Amino acid sequence: MGWYNKRLAKSLWVFHVSASPCNNCDIEILDLLTPRYDIERLGIKLVGSVRHADVLLVSGILNQKVAPFVKRIYEQAPKPIYVVGFGTCPASGCTFKDSYNKTKPTDYIPFDLYIPGCPPKPENMIAGVAKLLEVLNG
Amino acid sequence: MDNNGFFEAMSDKVGETIEKKLRYYFVVDNENLLEVVAYIFKTMGCRLSTATATELYQGIEVLYHFSHDKSGTYYCPRIIMPDKKNPQMNSITPVVRGAEWIEREMAEMFGIDFVGHPRKEPLLTRNNLTVRKQPLRITRVS
Amino acid sequence: MSVNNVPVGPFHPLLEEAEYFNLVVDGETVVDIDMDIGWMHRGHEFISEQRTFTQSIYLVERICGICSTSHPLACVHAFEDVDNIEIPERAAYIRTLVGELERIHSHLLWFGLAGHFIGYDTVWMWAWKYREPILQMFEIISGNRNHYGMMRVGGVANDVDPNRIPEMMKILDMVEEKMNMIAKIANDDPVLRSRLKGVGVLTRQDAVDFCAVGPTARASDVPCDVRRDEPNDAYGMVDFEVAVLPNGDVYDKFVVRVLETIESAKICRQCLERLQTVKGPILNNVKEITAGEGIGRYEAPRGEVFHFVKTDGSNRPIRHKVRAPSYNNIPTYVASCKGIPIADALITLASVDPCYCCTERSLKVIDVNHDPFKVDLLQLSREKTQRIRREIHE
Repeated sequence: MGWYNKRLAKSLWVFHVSASPCNNCDIEILDLLTPRYDIERLGIKLVGSVRHADVLLVSGILNQKVAPFVKRIYEQAPKPIYVVGFGTCPASGCTFKDSYNKTKPTDYIPFDLYIPGCPPKPENMIAGVAKLLEVLNG
Repeated sequence: MDNNGFFEAMSDKVGETIEKKLRYYFVVDNENLLEVVAYIFKTMGCRLSTATATELYQGIEVLYHFSHDKSGTYYCPRIIMPDKKNPQMNSITPVVRGAEWIEREMAEMFGIDFVGHPRKEPLLTRNNLTVRKQPLRITRVS
Repeated sequence: MSVNNVPVGPFHPLLEEAEYFNLVVDGETVVDIDMDIGWMHRGHEFISEQRTFTQSIYLVERICGICSTSHPLACVHAFEDVDNIEIPERAAYIRTLVGELERIHSHLLWFGLAGHFIGYDTVWMWAWKYREPILQMFEIISGNRNHYGMMRVGGVANDVDPNRIPEMMKILDMVEEKMNMIAKIANDDPVLRSRLKGVGVLTRQDAVDFCAVGPTARASDVPCDVRRDEPNDAYGMVDFEVAVLPNGDVYDKFVVRVLETIESAKICRQCLERLQTVKGPILNNVKEITAGEGIGRYEAPRGEVFHFVKTDGSNRPIRHKVRAPSYNNIPTYVASCKGIPIADALITLASVDPCYCCTERSLKVIDVNHDPFKVDLLQLSREKTQRIRREIHE
């Protein structure tokens, strides 16, 4: 699969799954597309349907209502798919760890990469993307 | 007591009152609630901000918050229900249409039954089968 | 014509957050709308019973990322209202400055999204490009672009460096120039006017019945604004005007936001000028808060944020109630969505500027489309713009 991953790394298509976030991470993701950080020059774009996606960006603590739907989205995505946990919420859920509505995210989908921060700075996000590209390139 | 004439008009329906700078909290009985709310909302032209429910030692208390925009004052009627197993009170949704969502949320979080509410369904935990019922009660119902 | 249900469901490519609408359509016209929320519910009121007063400020910041200063401001107003605590003058100006900068950044964000929904992607890119210097100003003042952590009971946590005030004034000049450009676009472009005028009207009586707040109410002739009705912090010491328009359609909501952004830039400039001359402490050290009840509110970009707190003399509140402005504004969809064509549904839903994470303090929903016909609301909205553009230029 090495040659396949190298072709994939040239232009990754990303689908954003927002599973109970506070929206800050979502706005910073959209910020990456705007002229200052402009991640489209690396070939990365946001798609509207999960069937076209190569990477799933998951943000937020997965609350009990939405977690089964996130699992369904993961099953609908064409493999190979990389799951990136965005922000501190899917990594540890630190502010919300006492809530009655919180679940353990790794019970539902497997995660490949975590980008911590509340919210992560755009420079951090680009560094995370670069790490993913490095892994894909071998 | 206040500059907008509320306490002169409704002095016989209002119980114990706490008066602070620009804030008035007073106790109202369940039977007089709709009349007091109709006076505040329609005659005085106040706007409903929200409502808060709390579980106290002596019962369940619901506090409505009405804002009088011209003077920046808040009028807050308080209803106390001493029966904690089946708390029940009149709903103000027939008078104030904006109270529909907030009463649904209070019913789902505390288990209060609002008599006369047009749509008694949970708001935030509908279709969520695994969540704990009545999560904000101290003696949690599971 | 048969009646069909169109679910616009939790994960839609266009909606940033999860929300589930069920639009009941009769042919091309929307007849009714039903909403299922609860996808963002994280249980803030449950968690805040276990946090102290200063920890509550950090918890409350993370209710929403866009109105990230409005919730802490309303929260400290509520704590200070229990005992009528006063704050120093310099702290009042810093609080107002941060609050108004947030209003500018939130409205620019909304212009970008509204342009994207109609099909004007250039407006999206430009509005977000001119938003970046505002985020840079936040970084100069507090150290972070989004969650600032600036508020404390009795004042603020960080001071403004006086050497960097001229740089910030230059950024405000640039913002005013670009807002004038956007105002000119709104006035001159015929396609924008015919797309937005008369669409999704919310009448004055409906706005009063549903207790709507913020620009949604001010565009329907209901003059409620917390900054003028109950001026706390520095709002009593600066000059500004409140914009109220009579029609209640999407065009009026757009214009109200443009006028508010221009007024906010004026307020920020006045605060920066006073900060160069007013000296003093920025924090009043508060030792304890006595037993009682307190109400605090603040005019966020979407409307009035309301916090209510009940204390008993210890170091944590026993009940902390949060009500965000979108909670009162979203039920108005039932009134403003009746009778509009389905291509206009998306811009009407977005004109209220809903912030679902504030509403349910909950989560996002995806569309599980099991209907016989699928409809892409974004595509329909953009096709209508192309059609109008062709008609006008013929």
